[in-house]
Order: sequence, then structure tokens, then C-alpha cells
Amino acid sequence: MKKQLKFILPIIIPLIILLLPASSFGIEGLTFVEQRVIAIFVMATLCWVLEPIPIYATSVLIIVLELLIISDKGLWFTKVDSPELGHLISHKTIMGTFASPIIMLFLGGFFLAMAATKYRLDVNLARVLLKPFGQNPKYVMLGLMIITAVFSMFMSNTATTAMMLSILTPVLALFSKDDLGKVAFALSVPVAANIGGIGTPIGTPPNAVALKYLVDENNISFGAWMVFGVPFVVVMLFIAWLLLTTLFPATTKQINLNIKGRFLKTPKAIIVYITFIVTILLWLMGGWHGMNAYVVAMIPVAVFSMFKIITKEDLKRISWDVLWLVSGGIALGVALDKSGLAKNAIDAIPFATLHPLLLIVGASVLCLLMANFMSHTATANLLLPLVAALGASMHSLLPYGGEVVLILAVTFAASLGMSLPISTPPNALAYASGHVQTKQMAKVGVVLGIIGLLITYAMLYLLNQISFL
Amino acid sequence: MEKINIICVDDEREVLDSVVRDLDYFSDVFNIEECESAIECLELLEELDANQEHVALLISDHVMPEKSGVELLTEVELDPRFLGTKKLLLTGLATQADTIKAINNAKLDNFLEKVWDPDELLQTVKELVTEYIVERGLDYQDYIDKLDAPTLYRLLK
Repeated sequence: MKKQLKFILPIIIPLIILLLPASSFGIEGLTFVEQRVIAIFVMATLCWVLEPIPIYATSVLIIVLELLIISDKGLWFTKVDSPELGHLISHKTIMGTFASPIIMLFLGGFFLAMAATKYRLDVNLARVLLKPFGQNPKYVMLGLMIITAVFSMFMSNTATTAMMLSILTPVLALFSKDDLGKVAFALSVPVAANIGGIGTPIGTPPNAVALKYLVDENNISFGAWMVFGVPFVVVMLFIAWLLLTTLFPATTKQINLNIKGRFLKTPKAIIVYITFIVTILLWLMGGWHGMNAYVVAMIPVAVFSMFKIITKEDLKRISWDVLWLVSGGIALGVALDKSGLAKNAIDAIPFATLHPLLLIVGASVLCLLMANFMSHTATANLLLPLVAALGASMHSLLPYGGEVVLILAVTFAASLGMSLPISTPPNALAYASGHVQTKQMAKVGVVLGIIGLLITYAMLYLLNQISFL
Repeated sequence: MEKINIICVDDEREVLDSVVRDLDYFSDVFNIEECESAIECLELLEELDANQEHVALLISDHVMPEKSGVELLTEVELDPRFLGTKKLLLTGLATQADTIKAINNAKLDNFLEKVWDPDELLQTVKELVTEYIVERGLDYQDYIDKLDAPTLYRLLK
């Protein structure tokens, strides 16, 4: 029964919502389109939480349902003119979410990451950068964590974790059976990857989803994001390192990471190195050349395709599922906003009486909790449109930094959910190594989640004090 | 067109020459490399890898001084840089223990006995190289003359 419930609920509950009379929602002047958006939103929530279908499939379903029942080219009976119909959304806008600039930014990131892996820039950099950390397990771990975090700022957290764990596995096999150091090492990689993703807009999909809501006067450039993102990553990494080395001290005195290979010097490899450096520089110097991060992201796509660095076959291996997952989130936000539901609903609920700090803390804690049990991106997809609408309407938030602070707090919280093997793919990979117990992962994840939130609040307070945002 | 290599390893010069002669059919499309020891082969692999050339197939004798063929093939099997490289052991002097190791650790793709039938060797190499090219996602049309058609159809399906 329990098994069937996860299929039945996402169908039944949205259907009930569709069939209820409009007056039963307590929102004055609720239109048919808005009611349908509520149904889609509830379906998306149930599908992402219960996972009857893959999470990216839920995203596609959102977009297709929006096209069918709330677009200007949808099914005939959904468009019957009546005073209560509301605003139908342009089908081009909904389909456009598949190619929104945010998706293109990520595609550019994917191209960089794929080329770096293919031409082994990642492994070779890891080899060179690990050398100065010597052979003392404590410092080797610090080195591993720093490198993992830096890579996961530009590559997917999962790919970075897989690469670093493949370097680490042969070494872990040499540890004695009851050496706690093994636990520390196996955990250090996913922890660093999860934290590192926070550092740049392309580090992890929730950041991209946040960019969708950071527009106009709230716009944050690539470089500006790194100005606060990177110090946050540094502080969190240091705390994580201290935590891991105290909780799980290694008894082994010396470890030796042996990474084979040398830097490739073929013309193609050199093109990869140059493109990589130039793209990152262009991202950081957004103000100077007039191109924003989205436009810059298209440069590596063109260069790598031209020089056959990313071939036809490589193209098929791009994580389209991740891109679609984000698209669905954007489409959900578009529907809430363009149908007018977001504004109507917030007017109807007396949020204004709520203390703004309570809202910031409440929303980010809810996000952290959800992110521990479901996909970070799906969490961000669900919470950010709501939070953005709320933030825009609450004037009492302004003294605390306004909408931006609320959005960033929730975005950071989404990346801090890492206490269970199911929390993130990097956690699942580390758990699969067999060196870590769920209890140990939970201990580290919970502590880092709470500390992370506190540091996020402190950072946002500081940024607001110096009026950076 | 990507450069694709086939490496032959045998410590006896005459045997090596005769393998290479049998593979002459491929020499206008693929690069046939000769090594007289496992050590020499490992050095060559480093060099080819640095130039980002493909190693489609490694044909090795087993009994050689310093490092045996099975040891060489196991090392290649475990090196992530040569993921997908096909391995053929060509030997008359492998004990059952060696053979077990070769299958379990080196994950051999094929085993031929000395003295070999040149046609059989040619056909085997054809099939293995076809598998490598399709599995690595290389453009098979560039090499189609020298590939094994049935294998190609099976893998492309």
C-alpha cells in the first residue's frame, strides 16, 4: 500500500485541487489559471518528495503540463473565455525555460568540466597541487579538501567526488582495519565537494536557480558572488577539516598519494588550458568587457566544438537531466509569477506581521531540512520561487538587506544538506566506499549544516552592514 | 583522424617480426608498434598517452624476463588512462595458474596459442579493434575498410 501511495498521491491531490471551487483557497479573486498553477505546484512537490518518477522527469512534466493547461496554445477547453480565467502564459516563455540563459551558463560549465576531464587537467592539477601538502595524513586531507572544493566550484560536485575518491581508494586500502582516519578521508571528499559548490554561480544547480530570482537591482555578477562565496567556502572547509580530524583521528603516520601521468602538451590540450583560463578571467572581470556571465559561458561551447575537443559522442554524454531539472524549476517560477498567483497569494496571507528575521531563519532551516532528504536542486526549485515572491513583497525585510538576503540564505542552506547518504550524490558515492557508517556521516553533516547556517547569517549580516548586496 | 596504435610485445625478435608481418594488413590505417620487453612497452605507453594517441590493442607474449606479459596486461588494465584498451595474450607457455591470473586480473579480451594461424590472428585483431573504436566513440567511418563488419553492426545497433 505504502508503495502505491507514492504513485496515487501525486495524481489524486492535484486533481482534488483542480476540482475544488475557487473560493475554497481563501485567496480573493483566484483565477482558473492560478488554481491550475497551485495544482501543478502541489504535484511537483509531491513528485520531488516521494519520487515516483525520476526528479528530472518531474521537471519535464511541469513544463508539459504548463503548456497543456495554462499556456496560450494549450488544450481547447482550458482556454474558454470567462471573467475568472486569468492570464494564460505565452507558450514561448514556457518552452524558453529549456534554453534560459541560466541553462546556457550551466552548459558552458559542463563544456569546461568535460574538456578538463578529457584532457586530464583535473587529475594533473590535483597531482601538482597535492605535492606541497607532504605525507602527514592531516595535511594531505586538508590538501584534498581544498582541491576538491576548488574543482567543485567549476565542475559538478558528483564528478569531482568521483575523481578524488578514485585517487583516494587505493590509499585507503592500505589503512589498518580499525583506523578512524579512513572515515575522515572518505568523508572529507563529499563534504568538500558540497561546500565548494557554494563558491561560484555555476558550482551547483541551486545557485543557478537562485540567479533566476536575483535580477534587476538585486543582480549579482559572477565575480561578486565569488567575493562572498569563496571566503564562506574557506571558513567552512577549515571548520570541516578541524571537525573531521578531531572526530576521526588517523593512526597512520604517513600516507602517499600516487597519481600517475603528466600534463598533456598536445595542441588540443593547450587550447583547453587557454580556454579554461580565459573563460574564468572573463567571468571574474564582468564589469570591464560588458559581457555578462551567460554570454561568456557560450565561448567555451563554441571553441571546444570547433576544435573537436568536445566531439559528437561527448555531446551525448552531457548531463541533460541536470539541465532539465533546473529548467523545470525555472518554469515553476515563471508560472507562479506570470499567472499572478505569487502576488495574489502573498497579499492574502498576512506575512507582513511576521518578523523578517523569523522568516529568514524559518525559510533557511526548512530548506536545510528538505535538502537533507531530497535533491538540493529540487529543494531550491520549490522554495526559491516562494521565497522570492515573499521577499519582494515584504518591506520589513529591507533593513536586513531585503530580498537578496532571504534568497541567498535559502540557496546556501540548500547546499548544506549533507547528513545522509541520500542527501547528495557525492555522499552516496562516499558511502559506497564502505568505509563510512551512516551514523558517522550524520554526525558530521548535522554539525556542518548548523554551523554553516550560522556562518551564512553572520556573512549576510556583514555584507548588509557594508552595503555590498 | 585520431591516431590509433596496436602494440606488440615479445622478447624474441623473430617472433615479434612475424607478428608484425601478419598485422601488416592494418599498417596503412593504424600504427603498429614493436616492443621487446614489458618495460619498453610501459615507456611507450607513457609517450603515446602524452601525445593523446589511442592504444586500441596490446598483444603480448607471456614469458619474458623482468616483467611477464600477464603482469604487464594487469598493470594496463588497472590504469584508468588506458580504459578500454583491448588485451590479447599470445603464448605457448602459460600454466593454468598464469591463465587464471590473466583472465581474472588482466581481464584478457583474447587468448591465442603459439604457433598461431595468421588468418585467425588477423580476424581476432579486426574484431578487437572494431570493439575499441565503437566503445570509445571514435568515428568508425575513417577506419571502416579495416574493421570487422559483423562486429560493427552488432555494436552500433
